[in-house]
Amino acid sequence: MAWPNIFQRGTLFSRFSHHHVVVFLLTFFSYSLLHASRKTFSNVKVSISKQWTPSAFNKSIRLPVEIWNSNHLFPSAEEATLFLGTLDTIFLFSYAVGLFISGIVGDRLNLRWVLSFGMCSSALVVFVFGTVTEWLHFYNKGLYCCLWIINGLLQSTGWPCVVAVMGNWFGKAGRGVVFGLWSACASVGNILGACLASSVLQYGYEYAFLVTAAVQFAGGIVIFFGLLVSPEEIGLPGIEAEENFEEDSHRPLINGAENEDEYEPNYSIQEGSTVTQVKAVSFYQACCLPGVIPYSLAYACLKLVNYSFFFWLPFYLTNNFGWKEAEADKLSIWYDVGGIIGGTLQGFISDILQKRAPVLALSLLLAIGSLVGYSRSPNDKSINALLMAVTGFFIGGPSNMISSAISADLGRQELIQGSSEALATVTGIVDGTGSIGAAVGQYLVSLIQDNLGWMWVFYFFILMEEPRISEPHEPTNAAHGVSVAPPQGAGRIRIRGGRCFRWRYWRGLAASGIAGKSARAQGQAVGKGVKILRMSLGAPGWLSW
Amino acid sequence: MAPRRLGSPSFVVPWAATLLLALGAERALALPEICMLCPGSVRDLSQVTLYCKRTPELMLHSRCCLNQEGTIVGLDLQNCSLKDPGPNFPQAHTAVIIDLQANPLKDDFAKTFRGFTQLQTLILSQDVSCPGGINAWNTVTFYKNNQTCQGQRNLCNSTGDQEMCPENGSCVPDGPGLMECVCADGFHGYKCMRQGSFSLVTFFGILGSTTLSISILLWGTQRRKAKTS
Repeated sequence: MAWPNIFQRGTLFSRFSHHHVVVFLLTFFSYSLLHASRKTFSNVKVSISKQWTPSAFNKSIRLPVEIWNSNHLFPSAEEATLFLGTLDTIFLFSYAVGLFISGIVGDRLNLRWVLSFGMCSSALVVFVFGTVTEWLHFYNKGLYCCLWIINGLLQSTGWPCVVAVMGNWFGKAGRGVVFGLWSACASVGNILGACLASSVLQYGYEYAFLVTAAVQFAGGIVIFFGLLVSPEEIGLPGIEAEENFEEDSHRPLINGAENEDEYEPNYSIQEGSTVTQVKAVSFYQACCLPGVIPYSLAYACLKLVNYSFFFWLPFYLTNNFGWKEAEADKLSIWYDVGGIIGGTLQGFISDILQKRAPVLALSLLLAIGSLVGYSRSPNDKSINALLMAVTGFFIGGPSNMISSAISADLGRQELIQGSSEALATVTGIVDGTGSIGAAVGQYLVSLIQDNLGWMWVFYFFILMEEPRISEPHEPTNAAHGVSVAPPQGAGRIRIRGGRCFRWRYWRGLAASGIAGKSARAQGQAVGKGVKILRMSLGAPGWLSW
Repeated sequence: MAPRRLGSPSFVVPWAATLLLALGAERALALPEICMLCPGSVRDLSQVTLYCKRTPELMLHSRCCLNQEGTIVGLDLQNCSLKDPGPNFPQAHTAVIIDLQANPLKDDFAKTFRGFTQLQTLILSQDVSCPGGINAWNTVTFYKNNQTCQGQRNLCNSTGDQEMCPENGSCVPDGPGLMECVCADGFHGYKCMRQGSFSLVTFFGILGSTTLSISILLWGTQRRKAKTS
């Protein structure tokens, strides 16, 4: 097993320009800010439910109504908490739906505009939700629900766009480690949100919303002025072009008189390093890409377990071990820490192996063991924290990897390279399916916990872990960019004189409804490549050799 | 006008007397209804009269003893045939001394005195008990045809219950035998959850300038040469 080229050519990081660094940081922090505003909501829940309810204080002492009892949105704090839980579920569902939509939108419009618009508009919605309603003393359940649905939809623009931008800038080689490091952004966002919220909560919960919303809005503005969506935007070679260039030192070019006569201009083929294609794949096409559906389903199960930990861990710790809420909150950070380390390390290993599936499979196998181990954790904080970090390593790690690095792999596989912008769509599908799983999971966990107890929650988690181990497989073997003979997939097709032309080969897909986008060609296998004899683009039918 | 009002009564200079008289006349027109609840003026020998005469700045107007600002400090409603003090009674919540003797009052009028935090002397007929009960007053003295409830006690400190009020609340006296929860020092807003005030100007100033400079920096280094697509 060879080390990837990047490690031979020099260090991974010396290849990165200051543009790479800025893109990494901008996307990192833009998603962090989006996650921070979600975290704010969960951090101010106590204050909000106090604000919505009258005081439950039964003493002979008088409580002036205007100070203690004027708000009657909910009769008791329990019902307010229930409503807040409902808002969480509503948010997750609309977020999931939004992910499917915004991925498609992101691929068709400029990613920078979509991301910037999403951040600014969702900041405004959060501002109205938390600050304006409080300033006007207008509390209305329907309004809150509507705003939170809109917020879910707008927030969902973030993830597909940032993953797509990252995928544009960072090549498959080294993607695992870079994305592993980068996917810590959600955890950093949680910490950021918690800090922002707690620092201004004393002025009133509306200022926690105001501050996070304002910072998020500012982030949107910075993104608008500072983000380069892809290297091509400033005339740098795209990552595919770069990889190709390095591999055979021939600039990929379309050539050959026999091609040109049948060339249809409305289906422009990628030429040289100018990847200016914005023809996006449809939602259906994206679903049909190899690996998208299996990974989506795998991620749904994985995100279910992962988010259940995120939402329920402090509650479980308080409930099961009787630890204080503040301590449980602090302790649950270890799960995130494990996830960050797991994502980075497993990404790194998968880079070295140049395969992600075996790493995932092994990690998830061990996740079952760690879940069993965690469910039997003794009542000891340091042992529990350690087990928690281990569980986070084996569950949070793969989860981070699927949602970032693998999504980027899937969206940039050679099947669709160049002609199609599928990255955001694919990311949206994977993460959207995952979020639906997570939303369903929140409901199921409370149901199981109520009826059967915590042990069964863990059995349920283990059950959810099980099927996914066999499912994931490598998206495509063509993604390594070596010229391969047509039956194995896509690659470059060599046309006379060593010049090559990058070719999308919709094998299998041609039969599943994508034929309209495929091309006809006649060729002859020459060594590892194929000599094109005749070809046309845009006509229905598929490759015939 | 305002500075003079702020000055304590002992500093009022004689030349202001005319002005005060004019104001007094004005005030007489806007005399609180409670002062005219029953006809006639305060009897010469009543305690309210004595109290009012003792301090030169106070003046008697029908049944009330008013200070310079027109606030009621004394109220004499004795022998008014009152079954209850009526809806206008809370107007006298600033009163220090109230005389309600010789009225056929019903006994349960504890809530009537809600907000009467200044009240130090309350004169009642013997057949009714002091509002808030005996514990609410320092001394309760019985005379031949009346009783005097003297000196309100602050029950907030006496019960020994540390958590009399919800979080961030603070117990304050609210009339004889009554307490209420207001916000503790430094807290405000609904349920007293808020503390201090957020400086919007500072926050948006810092955020705005930071955003502006980062945007300019990134535009210059990143997007300036970008092709607009």
